[in-house]
Amino acid sequence: MIDIPATKSSPEIKYSEQENTLTISGESYPENSFAFFQPLFEWLHEQLERKAHLHVSINISYMNSSSTKCMLDFLDLLGDTRKHNCSIDITWQYERENDRALELAEEFQDEATVPFRILPYHNPDRHQ
Amino acid sequence: MRNIIEIKEFFAEEGILISFHGSFSHGIIEEIGSAVRRHLEHERLERGIVADVFAVYIEQTQNVRNYLKRKNFLDPAQSSAIVLIVQTEGEYLLCSGNSIAREDVPDLAARLEKINNSDKDALKKMYKEQLRKPLEADATGAGVGLIDIARRATGKLGYRFDRQDESHDFFSLFVKVGGGER
Repeated sequence: MIDIPATKSSPEIKYSEQENTLTISGESYPENSFAFFQPLFEWLHEQLERKAHLHVSINISYMNSSSTKCMLDFLDLLGDTRKHNCSIDITWQYERENDRALELAEEFQDEATVPFRILPYHNPDRHQ
Repeated sequence: MRNIIEIKEFFAEEGILISFHGSFSHGIIEEIGSAVRRHLEHERLERGIVADVFAVYIEQTQNVRNYLKRKNFLDPAQSSAIVLIVQTEGEYLLCSGNSIAREDVPDLAARLEKINNSDKDALKKMYKEQLRKPLEADATGAGVGLIDIARRATGKLGYRFDRQDESHDFFSLFVKVGGGER
């Protein structure tokens, strides 16, 4: 089980058994990104060995450069079918009005070895 | 002590929005970052500019903090750093300053030079290559901070090294955001 609450500088990371979905949402610029993401990697290694399927839902509007490195490693691990047989589907959500969040998602889509969908959502609290 | 009003007037003349001088902790970086973002959001700036100012601020301050933490300079003249955010018509200048061991200067100067001689496409390529490099043991950053900063900046990065004492220089970094093409 993984359930890491969000802080000002780190995202929420949570797995829902019921929906078989891992959610990562918030902003990511923790003091030490590698230490912060370590529990996610440990959890994921375990899950990939025993699961046939996993949904991953990502909604990160900003991440610093070291978190970007971690996220890329995370996506590569999901896409590494030599290491596991778990089928993965990933959606990356971004707030429609936030260009930089879309840019971030698209750069990952460009670079990551695993395919994913990018879906906009509307934030009704924003008027712009 | 100079009269505080002189310092205040100096800040106003220079357009200094925020300054912090001292020992950078993660908590301080977070708090100042939130304050800067709230302030910029209030100014009704384009959202992308707010995001770039914030991102450059985070990379700059985390770079400084990680470097000083690794070096563990004992003298407060070297362990304290400074960050300034300056607002001039339609653009923002993010400035940071910290001591650097003289032996680390040539490598940093070469990296900055290389970054400044690269266009945005070359920077994107460098960024991706660096992300793919394996980390060095005990790394606290991925070595991509400066490249990320340059990608968000308008124009070239400004920098200088000033002699501080026989073994330290003072490194200043100036990054312009907004007011033109990234």
